[in-house]
Amino acid sequence: MISDSSQIFFFLEVLIFASVIFMHLSEKNYSVVFLYALQSFIVTVFLFIAVVENFSWMLFFAALAAFAVKVVMAPYFFRRLILKHQLRFNVNTYLKKPLALVVVAILTALTYSHFFAPLTQLAPQNSNAILLAIAMMLTSLFLIINRQGALSQMVGVLSLENAIVSFAFLAGLEESPSSQLGIMFDIAIWVVIATVFAGMVYKQFGSLNVTAMKHLKEE
Amino acid sequence: MTIFFLLITPLLASLFSLLVKKQVKVLHLLALFASLIEFFIVGTVVSAVVKHGVYAYQNYFYVDYLGSVLLMILATVGLLVSWYSITYLKTEVAKKIIGFHRVRQYFVLLHLFLLVMFLAVITTSPIIAWVAIEATTLSTAFLISFYNKPSATEAAWKYLIISSVGLLLAFFGTLLFLASTMAVGGHTLVSWQLILTNAASLNPFVAQIAFLFICIGYGTKVGLAPMHTWLPDAHSKAPAPISSLLSGVLLNVAFLIVLRFKLITDVAVGQGFAQGILIFFGVASIVVAALIIYTQKNYKRLLAYSSIEHMGIIALGFGFGGAGAFAGLLHMIYHSLTKPLLFLSAGNIFLKYGSTKIKNIKGIISLMPITGVIFVIGFLAITGVPPFGMFVTEFSILASGIHTHLTVTIVVILALALVFVGFLRHVIAMMFGANENGLTKTAEPTGLIAPIMVLAVLLIGLSFFLPESLSFLISSATLAY
Repeated sequence: MISDSSQIFFFLEVLIFASVIFMHLSEKNYSVVFLYALQSFIVTVFLFIAVVENFSWMLFFAALAAFAVKVVMAPYFFRRLILKHQLRFNVNTYLKKPLALVVVAILTALTYSHFFAPLTQLAPQNSNAILLAIAMMLTSLFLIINRQGALSQMVGVLSLENAIVSFAFLAGLEESPSSQLGIMFDIAIWVVIATVFAGMVYKQFGSLNVTAMKHLKEE
Repeated sequence: MTIFFLLITPLLASLFSLLVKKQVKVLHLLALFASLIEFFIVGTVVSAVVKHGVYAYQNYFYVDYLGSVLLMILATVGLLVSWYSITYLKTEVAKKIIGFHRVRQYFVLLHLFLLVMFLAVITTSPIIAWVAIEATTLSTAFLISFYNKPSATEAAWKYLIISSVGLLLAFFGTLLFLASTMAVGGHTLVSWQLILTNAASLNPFVAQIAFLFICIGYGTKVGLAPMHTWLPDAHSKAPAPISSLLSGVLLNVAFLIVLRFKLITDVAVGQGFAQGILIFFGVASIVVAALIIYTQKNYKRLLAYSSIEHMGIIALGFGFGGAGAFAGLLHMIYHSLTKPLLFLSAGNIFLKYGSTKIKNIKGIISLMPITGVIFVIGFLAITGVPPFGMFVTEFSILASGIHTHLTVTIVVILALALVFVGFLRHVIAMMFGANENGLTKTAEPTGLIAPIMVLAVLLIGLSFFLPESLSFLISSATLAY
């Protein structure tokens, strides 16, 4: 049973890790948002599995809140932002795709190094999935750094959060339901504020490309 | 139960401020009244901590010696900043820089900012503390972009993204620390105390990785180099009272969380590991800040880099441990009084000159003598000139490290000398010389002067006389470090 569930978790983790890789390759903002929604859906599946394993209404509400915020609300806000400012394409990156993929490969290899190995002891049965969750963290971080579009940076931040949540589930480190609700509330507010700021950036710089922001350098 | 009102007061003040329509005076009264209540509640809580060692309310709120020091800083600076904000915003409205809606937005967010900082200090749960620190980012982002200029929006965006990434890494570190409690904590609200009690069962390697992520994550919020890049932009673009709160309080609140995790790490892996990390980030912050302070062209950014330097000094104090930790916490108190004093004085200078560039500011002493003198007092205090308290704390920190970390101590002494020289040349350029802008000397409004005078009196007073109860709090708080 344990090995079966470990394989399922590993498969799901592979899917969400792949979603970050595709975010790196994607040239359309819609695709990035779709990949984020898909990734969030899988992460909420993890949370609902936790509900089934240790049922409590609070845990159920926390999982439901995660679904509402990550799968419904955040993609909706991002879609509205894309529609409002006609931001269909976003291909600007600091590193070109082949080089970016090399960096992703290096980051993934790094997760299997001695440095992160102790973390697999938290749940040895999920060791491969745990390391993949860490690889997803690093590649999400790289997405934030490498992409010049504000929208991609926002999705990168939320993808990093998904990576941490999936790591916590796989390592058996889930926090209390009330804390989860607090975190979801924070994320919901974050999505709203970040979207408003992205709108302000567009209004003042005529673009969501962060390289257009040079006012601080000139001072 | 009293402590519950510490959260209710700013929450209600924020909600009522949101409902105010065109009556600016109501906003002002709410701000003053709320911060006074918070000040008195903190007084009650701190006196209880002095008497009983700890103040707890059910399983949710908990104030220890360290927390009470932070609460005092928060309530005192919060009160003085609220008082100063009234006249500061009035002047900006009179100059048509902002309108009523902006003033209301300011006070709504100011109360929320104070609320979440109180929550971060008094909560028993590291996860709730994380939520509160993340909420400080959200409540202050709009205060940084307050003037709605492209540079302010840029600074706020940078702040939002960098802080959020940093805090997510801190969240990862926090979750790793929860590993020790999974057998006993389950799905309940895990407290600092529970993690500390079970810290010995934590895998040492996991504890090391966790503390590294905590230092990188919360260190971003503290402004430790090399994660400091958001800080000079955010502090220089925010309104002066908000810069005071960011620099004088928020950095310390984030540092408190690092210190709480340090205790847990010490139990899991011994003191050496966490101390080494704090020394590394401390030295990096002091050196980076010193180099930039010398060449700085903007006086608000100058003060922001000075905050990075002082957070580095505090980190160094706790890194050295023992007497260094005592001096580090005392340094935090002095910095929390000095930096708001300087930022609020900088606010007065900005209102007069309309510029934050050092080259545009000349003759402050002749045009604004009171602000000028207070700014010079602040400069002498912040650069560690005797007889100010910071001289004693910096000396104590370096003395406690000289035997074990000679090279580090020498590098820090050289960097501090560079900071003094850098500050001195900028302050001389701003204070003296003929004013070329055609500005004339006018009376400085009491509302802009009185709060910084109170800060100056507190700073000078505490430099010469440290009350026994405060000394007891600091020594008790740093005993374990």
